[in-house]
Amino acid sequence: MIEIKDLHKSYKMGSNSLHVLKGINFKVEEGELVAIMGSSGSGKSTLLNILGMLDGADSGEYTLDGVPIKNLSETKAAQYRNKFLGFIFQSFNLINYKSALENVALPLYYQKVPRKERQEKAMQYLEKVGLKPWAHHLPSELSGGQKQRVAIARAMAAEPKVLLADEPTGALDSKTSYEVMDLIQQINDEGNTILVVTHEEDIAHMCKRIVHLKDGVIVEDKKIEQVRAAQYV
Amino acid sequence: MFDRDVWQEIFNTIKTNKLRTFLTGFSVGWAIFILVMLLASVNGMQNGFLGQFNDDATNTIFIRPGTTSKAYGGFEAGRRIQLKNEDLEYVKQSFADDIEYLSARYYANVTARYKSETGSYNVQATHPDHQAIEKTLIMSGRYFNEADLINKAKVVVIGRKVAEDLFKKEDPLGKFVELNNLSFRVIGVFTDDGDDNAERGIYAPVSTYQRIYGNTNNINVIALTYNPTYDLAKALEFSGKLEDVMKRRHKIDPEDQAGLYVWNYAEAFDNISSFTAVLRGIGIGVGFLILVAGIVGIGNIMVFTIKERTKEIGVRKALGARPRQIINLVLLESIFITTLSGFIGLVFAWVILAAVGPMFQTPAFSNPSVNASTVITATIILIVAGVLAGLIPAMKAANVKPIVALSDK
Repeated sequence: MIEIKDLHKSYKMGSNSLHVLKGINFKVEEGELVAIMGSSGSGKSTLLNILGMLDGADSGEYTLDGVPIKNLSETKAAQYRNKFLGFIFQSFNLINYKSALENVALPLYYQKVPRKERQEKAMQYLEKVGLKPWAHHLPSELSGGQKQRVAIARAMAAEPKVLLADEPTGALDSKTSYEVMDLIQQINDEGNTILVVTHEEDIAHMCKRIVHLKDGVIVEDKKIEQVRAAQYV
Repeated sequence: MFDRDVWQEIFNTIKTNKLRTFLTGFSVGWAIFILVMLLASVNGMQNGFLGQFNDDATNTIFIRPGTTSKAYGGFEAGRRIQLKNEDLEYVKQSFADDIEYLSARYYANVTARYKSETGSYNVQATHPDHQAIEKTLIMSGRYFNEADLINKAKVVVIGRKVAEDLFKKEDPLGKFVELNNLSFRVIGVFTDDGDDNAERGIYAPVSTYQRIYGNTNNINVIALTYNPTYDLAKALEFSGKLEDVMKRRHKIDPEDQAGLYVWNYAEAFDNISSFTAVLRGIGIGVGFLILVAGIVGIGNIMVFTIKERTKEIGVRKALGARPRQIINLVLLESIFITTLSGFIGLVFAWVILAAVGPMFQTPAFSNPSVNASTVITATIILIVAGVLAGLIPAMKAANVKPIVALSDK
C-alpha cells in the first residue's frame, strides 16, 4: 500500500541546514495498523507530513497504492489527498460552525458528491462511530472523545486508502483514549490501513506493528502482539 | 457558486463578526450613497437645462452670415458675407426632403405711428412659413400668406404690446399704421408665451420690405426647421451638410468659424449632453475614489479574517479543498459584503431622492433622480470593487499550506 525508498528531508534554518530524515525505507501492506513512535525531533511528524502529501521530500521515492507521489501541483495534491488519505488530528480540527454531520460530509463536498447523497453517507459513518443522535450538534456541544470520533468519521467518509492519525489521543484522558483506540482497532479489523503517530507506549501497543524513529532513521521495526483496547473500556 | 455550503460559510463569517462587517460595509455603502447622489444631481442639472429649451421649436436651424476671418478662394479675410434670396432658393432646392419650413428674415427698425401715438419697433420681414418656425400664436386676424408675399402687400402682423401701445382700446384689425411714414394695414395680432419682448415685434412680408429698401434681395437670416422625424445624429449630419454647402457657395474656408454661423438646436442639445456626460464622468470618478477607501477597508478586514481562519483553511486543504475552491469562497464573500452594503447605500439614496427630489424645480436643477443606468453603473462598480477587495486576501488564503492543520500547539 505504502512504499518509501531512501527518503531524505532537510529544513533550512537560516544558514544551517537541518537534516531531519536521513534515508527512510519503509513499507506498509494493506490492512496494517502501524504505530510510528519517537521522541520529539525524531522526524516522525515530518514523515507523516510527507506521507500526507502536505510536504515534499528532497530525495527518495514514495509510492501510494501504486501511484508515484512526486512533484504534485497544489490542485493535484488536493485531489490525491481527497482520494487516498484520511486525516485524524490531535486537536480534532473540526470546523466549529458546522454541525457534526456537516463536518463529516465535508470531504465528500470536495469530491463533488451531491448534497443529499453526502448527507446520507455522512450519517452512516456517524452511526458507525456511535454518534447518530449527535448529528446536528455543533462541535462545541460535544466532549473531546465525541469530537475525535466525529473526526474519525470525517476521515473515513471519503473512503480513503490510508488513514493517517497524528497523536489521535494526545488531547484525551486515558479512558477516552482507549475508546478512540477501540474504534480505530474496529476500523482496522474491517481491513483499513491505518498509521498512528504517537509517543505513548500503551497506545502504540494497541497497534500491530511499531516503527521506532530516532534522529531521522528507523532504529526498530517490529511486529507485536496487539493489545485490544476493548478490555479497558 | 450558488452552493448552499458556500453561502452557509459566508453567512457564518458575517454572523460571527457582525460589528466588523457592519463597519467595513458602511464605508462601501456610504461611497455608493455619495456616488448615486452625485449622479442624480447631474441628472437634475440635465433636466433643468433641457427644460429651458422646451418652449421653442426644437428642430430649428438658423443660418447667419458673418465676416470671414480667413483668406480663402482668392478672397482676403475680413469679407462680409451677405445672404440673398438666391441662397434661400438654393437651400430650398438642395434640401427639399430635409426641410419642413423655410423662411428668410430681414430686419428693420421702424418708427410706427397711429393717430397721435408713436413708438420704435423692430420689424422682422419674413416668409409665411416663419409663423410655424417661431410658433407665433395669432390672437386675432391672420398671418400673411403666399398671396401677400407675391403681391408685396403692405400688410403687418403686430405684437400684442404694439397693439396696446399704439391702438389703446381700439381694435387694430383693418386699421392702417404708419411705419417710417409708409402706410401698412394691420391684418393680425400675435402673442408669445411668457415673453413680453417678443410681443413688441412686427412681422411683415419679406418681399414688401425688400422693395421698400431699394429693391434689394438681401436677407439677414435664413430660418428653417428640419424634418421632425430626424433623430439627433441625423439632425447634426444635416446641419453639418448645410454648413458645408453654404460655405462652399460663399467661398468661405470650411474651417472658418466666423464667416457663417449655422446654429442648430440639436447641436445645443448635443453640447448639453456632452457637458452633462463630463459631469457624470467626474461624478463616477469622485464616487469611485471614495469607494477605494471602502475597498481597502474590506480588503484589510478580509486579510485579517483569513489570518484568523488559517487553521480552518489548512484543514479544508488537508481534506481535499483545491486552491480554486478556497479563492472562490473568499472572493464570493468579498463580493457579497460589498454588493449588499452598496445596495443598502443605493436604496438609502433612492429613498432620500424620492422624498426630496420633487422639491427642486429651479431652472438649472429639476427633479434629481436615480435611473436604471445609475443602478447598473453602481452594480458593476460594486462587483468590480468586491473582486478588487477580495483579490489579495483570496490569494493569501490559497497560499495557506495544509501543513498548518497538523502543527497543533
